Amino acid sequence: MSKLLEIRGLRARIPGGREVLKGIDLDVGAGEVHAIMGPNGAGKSTLSSVLAGKPGYEVTAGTVLYRGRDLLAMPADERAREGVFLAFQYPVEIPGVNNMYFLRAALNAGRRQRGQAELDAQQFLKAVRERLKLLDIGDDLLRRAVNVGFSGGEKKRNEIFQMAMLEPALAILDETDSGLDIDALRAVSDGVNRLRDPARAIVMITHYQRLLDYIVPDRVHVLADGRIVASGDKTFATELERTGYAHLGDAA
Amino acid sequence: MSEIDTADRPASATPPDILDSIVQGEGYKYGFVTDIEAEEAPPGLNEDTVRFISAKKGEPAWLLDWRLKAFRRWQAMEAPDWAKLDIAPIDYQAASYYSAPKAAKDGPKSLDEVDPELLKTYEKLGIPLGERAALAGVAVDAVFDSVSVATTFKDKLADLGIIFCSFGEAVREHAELVRRYLGSVVPQGDNFFAALNSAVFSDGSFVYVPPGVRCPMELSTYFRINAAKTGQFERTLLIADKGAYVSYLEGCTAPQRDENQLHAAVVELVALEDAEIKYATVQNWYPGDENGKGGIYNFVTKRGACRGARSKISWAQVETGSAITWKYPSCLLEGDGSVGAFYSVAITNNRQQADTGTKMIHIGRDTSSTVISKGISAGRGQNTYRGQIKVLSAAEGARNYTQCDSLLIGKRCGAHTVPYIDVRHPGAKVEHEATTSKISEDQMFYCQQRGLTAEDALSLIVNGFCKEVLNELPMEFAVEAQKLLAVSLEGSVG
Amino acid sequence: MLMTDDSAPFRAAFDRLRATADEPVWLTTHRGRAMDRFALMGFPTRRQEAWRFTDLEPLTAAPPLPAAAGDGDLPTPASLAPWLLPVATHRLVLVNGRFAPALSAGPVLPAGVWLASVAETLRQRPDLLDGAFRGRAGGGAEGGEEAFATLNAALFTDGVVLVLEPGTVLETPVEIIHHITSAAAHARLHIVLGAGARATVVETATGGGAGWANTVGVVTLDAGAVLTHLHIQAEDRAACHTAVMRAVLADRARYEACALITGGRLSRRDVAVTLAGDAAEFRLHCAYLLDGGQEATLSVRADHLGLGCRTEEVVKGVLAGASHGVFLGTVAVAPGADGTDARQLNRNLLLSPQARVDTKPELQILADDVKCSHGATVGSLDEASLFYLQARGIDPETARRMLVEAFAVDAIDAAGLSEPLADLARRHLRRWLDGGAS
Repeated sequence: MSKLLEIRGLRARIPGGREVLKGIDLDVGAGEVHAIMGPNGAGKSTLSSVLAGKPGYEVTAGTVLYRGRDLLAMPADERAREGVFLAFQYPVEIPGVNNMYFLRAALNAGRRQRGQAELDAQQFLKAVRERLKLLDIGDDLLRRAVNVGFSGGEKKRNEIFQMAMLEPALAILDETDSGLDIDALRAVSDGVNRLRDPARAIVMITHYQRLLDYIVPDRVHVLADGRIVASGDKTFATELERTGYAHLGDAA
Repeated sequence: MSEIDTADRPASATPPDILDSIVQGEGYKYGFVTDIEAEEAPPGLNEDTVRFISAKKGEPAWLLDWRLKAFRRWQAMEAPDWAKLDIAPIDYQAASYYSAPKAAKDGPKSLDEVDPELLKTYEKLGIPLGERAALAGVAVDAVFDSVSVATTFKDKLADLGIIFCSFGEAVREHAELVRRYLGSVVPQGDNFFAALNSAVFSDGSFVYVPPGVRCPMELSTYFRINAAKTGQFERTLLIADKGAYVSYLEGCTAPQRDENQLHAAVVELVALEDAEIKYATVQNWYPGDENGKGGIYNFVTKRGACRGARSKISWAQVETGSAITWKYPSCLLEGDGSVGAFYSVAITNNRQQADTGTKMIHIGRDTSSTVISKGISAGRGQNTYRGQIKVLSAAEGARNYTQCDSLLIGKRCGAHTVPYIDVRHPGAKVEHEATTSKISEDQMFYCQQRGLTAEDALSLIVNGFCKEVLNELPMEFAVEAQKLLAVSLEGSVG
Repeated sequence: MLMTDDSAPFRAAFDRLRATADEPVWLTTHRGRAMDRFALMGFPTRRQEAWRFTDLEPLTAAPPLPAAAGDGDLPTPASLAPWLLPVATHRLVLVNGRFAPALSAGPVLPAGVWLASVAETLRQRPDLLDGAFRGRAGGGAEGGEEAFATLNAALFTDGVVLVLEPGTVLETPVEIIHHITSAAAHARLHIVLGAGARATVVETATGGGAGWANTVGVVTLDAGAVLTHLHIQAEDRAACHTAVMRAVLADRARYEACALITGGRLSRRDVAVTLAGDAAEFRLHCAYLLDGGQEATLSVRADHLGLGCRTEEVVKGVLAGASHGVFLGTVAVAPGADGTDARQLNRNLLLSPQARVDTKPELQILADDVKCSHGATVGSLDEASLFYLQARGIDPETARRMLVEAFAVDAIDAAGLSEPLADLARRHLRRWLDGGAS
């Protein structure tokens, strides 16, 4: 069976011209949880931006296949409707746009693409209630405008809630743990764990090992200077905690 | 990542490109012309034109005199040039100042008498006339070119003592009221365009809500300019007597024509003690094509007087149409404790120009006003907010809050904010805030990452930007306004 | 437009001046053109949008004329003392627009610095004023203030020139005292800072009688240059004060202006700053405090042409008596001036029923990648704060004074001036609060 995501020799420049990804190779299968770790500036967030299709990033070499299709050829919104979800490191505020309204528009855009019937208000509300319960989130977030006036923790939980609603095949969590206190981290991690599914791949990008105490990955990769310099199973993370990244960067 | 530099990155479809492609194109869907035989005044403007119009309408002598006085004032006036507008010289002698559908010279008595072509026009416009009006619960007075063609729900309103009719009919049937209030808020010589309107106005709407009556339905007028080379000069007079309440809606469209057409309306509102008037406009006159050819010149004077204590007047407007908009719906806060509000969304795309805003004149004690203005510029559009907050020396305890936000879409448009604040009482509190920003690339990407197309993302963000104003519109209008915002920016025919 | 008769006194003064002046022919020619131009355009009227709030009647009814050389008593050093910085400075005193060497002093100038009166500069380094009088007499002033700039060009008697060569840092502040008696003083200020140069200039306007100070200032900052400019306007309440300031900023140049306006029956300050280079910065902190029948207008225009430039304006007004304060602020962002970050804030306190304020903070934006905001407020002292202070045993008068001081001093504190300058400004503010300053 082909992998859900196959990245080969991916090189990319950030807006402004500097090459940050210098040849990434990575395979992610359905049902797998991968953690990508590494020091600041290694290219972790660039990788998530390139996969999600953020404008301004220029891919200079390499290929990315998603379900066997050329992911890089799709515009960002099409990738999303095809099931690629990015949980933003810094979720964006959109004043005046109600969270529920936004989510329903997004959900139905995806359903239309997949040839599914759109959800009416009642069906949508039902789905929302189920997910809120699953993730143990209060419904007060939903009455507000998208991310406006949310605390850091609320924004991250809102991202995971959106993920639960949109049910992506590939979820990329970009530093979802950053800026969270221990309670918020636990809540967000519990949410992600409940969304683990044999049909869903999750790629976690993180700077800290502590996230992996809560969301246990199948594979751990170290990204340094634009390349994956080491990979291992979940025990590898513990090893890293002891030895740090430095020697890996040198080895590469 | 914040350092997105899109200027030299043609490789990917960067947001500015997307935005440009979205905002280009021509999406005016009301540009049809209705083929109706019309009776027109010969082009030109002189005292005889004024007499012709007055005679056509069978007006009493006092009104003819009033018009002539206005005309003489107008002749001595010059068109204002202080607005940030680039207006080609207007030849006031080239236009025709009266055009009426010929089929029903004296105005239709009921819907059955209305030309079926005309009804079809209204159907295309989505106006709920007749039975549809009943279902929608909207009473409609439709002004086609210059003549009021049908007023629905008259009987039901009459039971409550509410008068809702064409201006012409009001002159005939309710002369006393018209005479008392006409020009009492916008005097004949108030400004160049108001003077012109006062001389040549052809029809319009009249509303009177008696003391203590709460008008049970939204009253609505749809204006349409159909004939070529005509101007439209309607006049609306709305009086809410003591303790009365009325919500009034106004919509406008015009056919797509290459030459500019002039629309110079006057709206006067009078709110007596404890009365409340809500006045909403969705203005979608033809804006001209993407090169600025054609389109309506919308030079309108709208003013409300809060005459009585604790009276309230609220203006809400969504301005998406017209080649040029010159419009400042204002409130004279005369009564103690009276309240004025102005909520506005103005979009300029392609070569559209808008210079719009409000005046809040605080005269009485403890008067308060709120101004929320949202300006959106796209294409080569130029959008100016011009507002005046004036607190006179007797306005103890006056309060104003003004917020005006501008949104820029693309590199060739302009957004301008010109507030005038003039305070002559130390007990007043006036606050003004303004921001200008563009649609952030991060917002666009966030929406697109959730699966929305660029068009939908833009429309969503723009609607969010306008939220506080759209909230002030009656429900059915808010929906129409949201669609209009999308159409104005996207060019999709919806 | 002025009738010929109205410009006649100026013409006569011009002729007197020309008869006695010892200056290059080109300058006389320039003055002549300016005089003709002023005669054509005359003073601005209230029909002009930018002048509709300013009542020039006190000035134009009987405009003061320049004093002849030697006219008017020199101020004594003691009378100037309250206005002086408490540290070593390069001090230049102008009395009725003429340099007064007896009152001026300062340490030896470091290399790379030219600081002298205009007259001296014309004698010794006329090259430094090359271009300063080229082109139209108004020197780029547009609108009504051009009349004042033009009249100044025709009639100016002297002024100050400060030129720093690239990389020069003048640590010691330059202190310029404009002292007027009952005459008109048309003085000029030319400041040119080369790349990376830094200087601090303090200008104080004192004296007055029924005189008129009409100053033109031209500031040119080359790449990375920084000018700190404190202006204290404190003439008697019978005087008139008009000033036209122009500044052009190259890449990364910074113009930090702070102004305290309390003097004059009628005053108007027109500041126009062009942020021509990239990443240039203009900061203005100003307070106008007026009483009696004073009227003051502060008009500030910032033109953003370069990329990533910043403007920050904080203008506070305190209006007592029957005074009238006017703030006209314009931020104009040219097409392509992306990354502009501009903030304008005008806050006013009305302390009396006869006081009046007009404020017009305007934005003209023709680029889309900008962050621009402005705010304006008008209000009175916060009753809750007053009560709070009184509840702590402070009498109402002191409480009121404390709150007004807190409101106004904020403009000085936020300007980030060095301590001697901030101290001078705060001292003047307190003098006003004590009723001892005009």
